[in-house]
Amino acid sequence: MAVDTLPATTAAAAPHQRPAGARKSRNREALTAWLFILPSLIGFLIFTAGPVLAAGVISLLNWNLFSSPTWAGLKNFARLGPDPTFWSALGNTAYFTFVSVPVTILVSLALALLLNEGVRRIAVFRSLLLLPYATITVAVAFVWIWLYIPHDGLVNAVLGLVGIDGPAWLISDGWAMPALIAMSVWKSFGFGMVVFLAGLQAIPQQLYEAAKVDGSNAVQTFRNVTLPMLSPALFFVVVTSIIGSFQVFDQALIMTNGGPGSRTTTLVMYIYRTGFENYDQGYAAAQSLVLFGFIVVITAAQFLLQRRLVHYDN
Amino acid sequence: MQTQLSRRSLLKLTGLAGLGAAAAGCSSGPPSGAASWAMWSSSPAERKVWEDFSAYVERELKIKSVPNLTPSSGYPTKLDLQLVSGTASLVTALNGTLIPTYAARGAHRPLDDLITQDPDFDLGDFYQPIRTISTFNEQTYGIGFDVAPTVLYYNKTLLQKQGIALPSRTEPMTWAAFRDLAKELTRPPDQYGFSCAPAIDDLVSWIYCAGGNVMNADATRSALNAPEAMEAIQFVVDLFVKDKVTPPIANLVTESSLSNFLEGNVAFMQNGPWQVVNVRKAKFDWDIVPFPAGAAGSTPRVSGSSFAIPAKVRGDDLELAWKLLKTLTSKGALDIYARAGRNNPARLSAGSAFKPPPDNLGIVQDILAGKVAGGHPFDVTTNWNQVKQLLGQDLPRTFLGQVTVKEAIDGLTPRLDVLMEQHQDNIRQASARKG
Repeated sequence: MAVDTLPATTAAAAPHQRPAGARKSRNREALTAWLFILPSLIGFLIFTAGPVLAAGVISLLNWNLFSSPTWAGLKNFARLGPDPTFWSALGNTAYFTFVSVPVTILVSLALALLLNEGVRRIAVFRSLLLLPYATITVAVAFVWIWLYIPHDGLVNAVLGLVGIDGPAWLISDGWAMPALIAMSVWKSFGFGMVVFLAGLQAIPQQLYEAAKVDGSNAVQTFRNVTLPMLSPALFFVVVTSIIGSFQVFDQALIMTNGGPGSRTTTLVMYIYRTGFENYDQGYAAAQSLVLFGFIVVITAAQFLLQRRLVHYDN
Repeated sequence: MQTQLSRRSLLKLTGLAGLGAAAAGCSSGPPSGAASWAMWSSSPAERKVWEDFSAYVERELKIKSVPNLTPSSGYPTKLDLQLVSGTASLVTALNGTLIPTYAARGAHRPLDDLITQDPDFDLGDFYQPIRTISTFNEQTYGIGFDVAPTVLYYNKTLLQKQGIALPSRTEPMTWAAFRDLAKELTRPPDQYGFSCAPAIDDLVSWIYCAGGNVMNADATRSALNAPEAMEAIQFVVDLFVKDKVTPPIANLVTESSLSNFLEGNVAFMQNGPWQVVNVRKAKFDWDIVPFPAGAAGSTPRVSGSSFAIPAKVRGDDLELAWKLLKTLTSKGALDIYARAGRNNPARLSAGSAFKPPPDNLGIVQDILAGKVAGGHPFDVTTNWNQVKQLLGQDLPRTFLGQVTVKEAIDGLTPRLDVLMEQHQDNIRQASARKG
């Protein structure tokens, strides 16, 4: 055979060397792949990575936007400690996140489970339930302002039917934030519902049949089959929801403008005001980086927990 | 016939389309050599006025006029971005409350050198309050186009129906008389005596009338805890909380005294003559009278807006910008503005164009001229946005009865003092730049 005639070194090297044509083809494939991701990559570099790096630099400056910036070092970060508004905004944001995310997930999951139970015309229901998510927040916020009107609003009218005298939701110290949370849950449950529904429909039927054969009841089946198999979807929704909730802005700006007092002033709202209304770009950038840090830490913790709690089929 | 498009051609076309879209989206600012000017505009009627202004500019200057119109809510943000990126118009409109903010940060240039070198320009033809409003650190940063005091609108139909004598055109009511009248005219939930915004912009008129202010005379400390200011705030809060002569507050963000008044069931509304154009749509008879007089008389807030030139405008552009600014604030232009009923023009010589209805509209110029009642130019700081935010957070809670006036003022005074120190720092930095 021809192979027998090859020198030993050549024979050994053959598997590592690709013919020039194959290499060229592979390079072309790589180039094509890069070309495909290039638009997204350029967008990411210009609109995401660039601003993050810029925020890092600006956080070290005193800059009022119009005159030349001056060096501030870490002073902008040092200002965060004694700033009560920053901590209050951070507290409000945490309150919003740690109430709205679990409630949104519970509502999304419940609706996804319902829709998965062989509902007829599922596509119609799915579309209807996804509508709030697809509607712009500004429009939804204005509608909810009307719903929350103390005397003539729909919410208090309904409560009135069962003998409850509803509060002045958006101007009440205690109820303004829950009112924003309720609106946000309504606005965003559709996203989680669709992801959960896709996850539920991907669970193999054999697992349910096996559970049935083993005599497990509905709760046991949910706990031991549905939930583990749905955990990747659940993990995805939790991570994206927490990141989104930490960035809550529009609904608070439109519905309460951060009030009453500063009860609904969120961190992003405070950052916006610091940077674009008070022209304190350095301090706003420092706040943004701290928010970024919080989100990174929380997301990293979730990824660590994922190893123990999330079940991947493969 | 079917046309085959290869994948390569499709990619090329997509790339070209993307580049085209990007190029179209990147604004390089207003065209060079054109008379570009920025203004807020939130309604078709307002837009029509600015289009007429634009036509007037083209007639007068014989060059292309480019008005950059933006809804008022987004105007400051857009202006900021244009100023920073060097794409701002040659002349930009500024609300009087923001002139110190922009001037202190070097965003706009002082106009004194241009005024001095121009023998054709007469600053004396502008009402003194708008000249005060447009001045920062003893330099003129803007030339006014409108100026007006806050007045008291009243529902003539409602008062006549109740058999109540119409308020005097020249003699302001006392606060006590006003309060009694408001209480008498209140029949909740169908009818209310008064409406104003639960915000500092409206509250300052009462504070000025009581002889107080938000800050002391040299703007180094808060003055809201002074007895005069406290008395004024307590008076207005009592109208809301104790006397309940105002429509119930449903939402602090959307609360609008104008909407309440236009419902036809509110007897009095505090507002400026800039709302005359909107109140003309009312389905009832109405008029305006001077603001109720407190211990210091009837001296409500006087507000105005001006045109200014960004600091980056230089050379030939500066010459054009000054010509444009003069044209936009000329008698001819302000006559257009006043005839449309937008607001009282800033020039004395253009005043006659701001005509009735309502019958008493002439009191606006009488007040500014010191013939009837009086007014107080809106005193603001170089960080007024922050001051407004602080007051906007804490004061509205008093209108809701959630905290007392004393609690609110005690709580915000230390923070307001810090903002006054920042304001002084801003002035020092601006003075250092001035040299």
